[in-house]
Amino acid sequence: MASNDMTSNETAKHGPGGAGTGAHGAGPDIDQETLLQHEKDTLTHTPVHLMELEAVGKHYGNIIALTEVTMAVDMGRVTCVLGDNGAGKSTLIKIIAGLHQHDEGTFKIMGEERRLGSPREALDAGIAAVYQDLAVVGLMPIWRNFFLGSEITIGRGPFRRLDVKRMKEVTKSELAQMGIDLRDVEQPVGQLSGGERQCVAIARAVHFGAKALILDEPTAALGVKQSGVVLRYILQARDRGLGVIFITHNPHHAYPVGDRFLLLKRGKSIGYYDKKDITLEELTAQMAGGAELAELAHELEAMGGHGELVDQVQAEVAETTGQTPR
Amino acid sequence: MTTLIKPPPALDERVGRRSMVANLLGRPEIGALVGAIVLFIFFSIVAPVFLQANSFATVLYGSSTIGIMAVGVALLMIGGEFDLSAGVAVISSALTASLFSWYFSTNVWIGVGLALVVSLTIGFVNGWILMKTKLPSFIVTLATFLMLTGLNLALTRLIGGSVATPSIATMDGFASAQAVFSNDFIIAGVDIKSPVFIWIILVAITSWLLLRTRVGNWIFAVGGDANAARAVGVPVRWTKIGLFMGVGFCGWVLGMHNLFAFDAVQSGEGIGNEFLYIIAAVIGGCLLTGGYGSAIGGAIGAFIFGMANKGIVYAQWNPDWFKFFLGLMLLLATIVNLIVKRRADSK
Amino acid sequence: MKRISWQRLAVVAAIVPMLALSACSSSGGRPAETAAGGGSGGQVATTPSIKIALITHAGPGDTFWDIVRKGAQEAATKDNVDLLYTSDPDGGRQAQLVQQAIDQKVAGIAVTLAKPDALRDVLKKAEAAGIPVVSLNSGGDVFQSVGAFTHFGSDESVAGAAVGTKLAEEGIKHPICVIHEQGNVSLEARCAGVKTKVPGTEILYVQGTDMTQVSSTVTAKLQSTPSADAIVGLGAPFTATIVKAVTSLNLAGKVKVVSFDLNAELIQSIIDGKVEFTVDQQPWLQGYDSVDALWQNYRGGFKVGGGRPVLTGPAIVDKTNAPAILKFAKEGIR
Repeated sequence: MASNDMTSNETAKHGPGGAGTGAHGAGPDIDQETLLQHEKDTLTHTPVHLMELEAVGKHYGNIIALTEVTMAVDMGRVTCVLGDNGAGKSTLIKIIAGLHQHDEGTFKIMGEERRLGSPREALDAGIAAVYQDLAVVGLMPIWRNFFLGSEITIGRGPFRRLDVKRMKEVTKSELAQMGIDLRDVEQPVGQLSGGERQCVAIARAVHFGAKALILDEPTAALGVKQSGVVLRYILQARDRGLGVIFITHNPHHAYPVGDRFLLLKRGKSIGYYDKKDITLEELTAQMAGGAELAELAHELEAMGGHGELVDQVQAEVAETTGQTPR
Repeated sequence: MTTLIKPPPALDERVGRRSMVANLLGRPEIGALVGAIVLFIFFSIVAPVFLQANSFATVLYGSSTIGIMAVGVALLMIGGEFDLSAGVAVISSALTASLFSWYFSTNVWIGVGLALVVSLTIGFVNGWILMKTKLPSFIVTLATFLMLTGLNLALTRLIGGSVATPSIATMDGFASAQAVFSNDFIIAGVDIKSPVFIWIILVAITSWLLLRTRVGNWIFAVGGDANAARAVGVPVRWTKIGLFMGVGFCGWVLGMHNLFAFDAVQSGEGIGNEFLYIIAAVIGGCLLTGGYGSAIGGAIGAFIFGMANKGIVYAQWNPDWFKFFLGLMLLLATIVNLIVKRRADSK
Repeated sequence: MKRISWQRLAVVAAIVPMLALSACSSSGGRPAETAAGGGSGGQVATTPSIKIALITHAGPGDTFWDIVRKGAQEAATKDNVDLLYTSDPDGGRQAQLVQQAIDQKVAGIAVTLAKPDALRDVLKKAEAAGIPVVSLNSGGDVFQSVGAFTHFGSDESVAGAAVGTKLAEEGIKHPICVIHEQGNVSLEARCAGVKTKVPGTEILYVQGTDMTQVSSTVTAKLQSTPSADAIVGLGAPFTATIVKAVTSLNLAGKVKVVSFDLNAELIQSIIDGKVEFTVDQQPWLQGYDSVDALWQNYRGGFKVGGGRPVLTGPAIVDKTNAPAILKFAKEGIR
């Protein structure tokens, strides 16, 4: 398959820094030093954020889906939103992507307070969402998918036709800029690997003028290697100056690429950090809820002695909290 | 070939690996093409009369009356839908033109115009109900199939007083309409009927539409993944309704041929033909699930049907076997498609 | 082509009726209303109104059964009978229709016996219920065994043989008999009848539900069979298509066209010399006589036919008698 030689090819090109490391699926092994070595400035000093949420909340009837969420997105920065299932991540995306409207707090785009009424409005504001289903048609060639719904045409009236040559060229170059080097844009998208498909969707959003990119769990369904590929594309998008919102439940994926981290739990923000203020271990511990995990281990122990499972849970507690098991 | 424009040579050195042959093997209609060639050679050997120009013109004519509809149906199937009412809708169109002109004693061209409106409306209603109710097209068009069958019979008897329409051959405009829809062109002594040309023109236009226009892109997309298409702003509803209206248009063309070739129309005709159209499209490489296929594939499928149908006559075989052969052909063509597609994909 | 603008459609919709008013055809079309031509202006029988069911195996949209029904209706009107006409080509469903007629307590049942085995049981029930039964059209050899007291029909083999005899007289050696419904017993019997008199008869099967396929297959056959000297159509609309195919191949005169059954266009073709002759089984009589026989049975317990089938055909229509029949064909009773 194309992905193999592509990956090796790409590593050579984009080797240095955090960008390349993801490709080898070695995310968790990166230490703080390597990650911070390319930091250009401190985040807090940006005068106007590309996107800014302050104490945003949303409830459906009497169910509170989201409350008191504050976060910012900047050009060329990755803001990670972490949380387990039901933490309120999808509600947050829906507000930003214009599918739902917030009813508490403020949502600013380029310093201007906004309330997005539809996905179209969000797109016009430069916000593009790439959902898990990706909105690509598997049987269609890459270039057709890339321009689907926004085809380039030449000619007039009944002779208006697709500018196939240009569309193919643009697709190839856009994908190349994202770091995907495809042999043939004529091949169906269905033949691409999961990571490459993500990339086509991302590149498409970028090409059609997105300034901010929302990626909804792009690594959730992927293996270690493919996840690495996607993480690299996230960095590519960042380096092209886009503000990226990366939604995930995996801190090992979030930490290497993120600049800011918003942790959600049951609709509430349980922490908002710049990268320099938090380590991967702390992030993981916060995510998993170290105390809860310890309690679980204790419970299991009380119920059935020293089974293999208990050992595992205790080991995990040790890993996440940095303490020795009781 | 998918591309009329050759890719720039400097693109990528690996592009060269995907040869002409591989490209050709990746086309949806390749299985049908191979089948058509085999069948052609086969009948040329067993029935030498098959190779005569006149005989071939007859085969083309027999193919064209399936093929005109198969083109519309193939596009619809690429768009992910079925139309079981297509066979009867042809007759509905012919009946409309015939009965209207006869009853009101108008110029037949007015009936022809009204028939076009009726055909497009049938397509529109099919598509509109489908998009509104989200029912499978199988159910919706099965319902319209039954309703049209009943309407054809009931209205023909009500208006014309019989199960067949009265002949309109002596009416004003008949000769000019016949010149368009059912003419015999004598080219180098060979009698070629106008549906053959209409068919070829339709195939050319729809192929261009499918591969080189935005609408074509949308047709593939709504058939491949309607949700994805909607998410990127493709007007899914109108694309599908348009496809049904396209089938309606083809039905009108064929219906007018039926009317002007035989002066009168039997109200019970057309039932069962919808499957021939679908078979032609499937033999031609259209996936039943949508999103894949070609207009020319449907045309080749119809050509295979025409060759088998007429070839059996030329070869003087017992026609009891015809349906069996047709079934076998369908099976083989789809298997060849499957194998070829898998092989092309694994390259 | 794919996207139709609504404005344009609206314009077309508006223009069509306007044109309809102005652009009338100078010839053809529906004849102006004349005096109601039922042909049955006579007196109505004085017997009390009874219900008679006519149940056929007609598929929808076959001109032949129209004529049968017209005959039956005319007899019904004359005899003060309420005619219940139903049909289904499927044997099992035809039996259900007979059952329904029994449930409705009709005074008589006229039924076609295309599939006698499917109807045997239900006709026994009719007999048990004391409902008289006659058969028509098909079943001349089995009508007694299923309990019908008589049968009105034309024997298909006899009709076929009649055609064969006439063809043989004209020196035809190689006729092609075109069957428009594969597996239909009576159509096969017609061709078999032709073959008994002309051994060189060849059978061609066409798909009767699609005229274009009838046309192209006949053309293919004639192209590949230069020795063919006649072609036999088994139904008037199919013969019309065959005539066109023969004409467009420039074989008119070389290949003689003959037919079974008739309608107005076919008779006109006989007058014009495009078709040699046709064999009519006089379907109007089948319908008329069936209903009338049932009424006669009701009136005085009469049983026409003496336990033997009553033949309604074959009647040969050729150039000599065609002009006289044309008028009746236009009326829809021949």
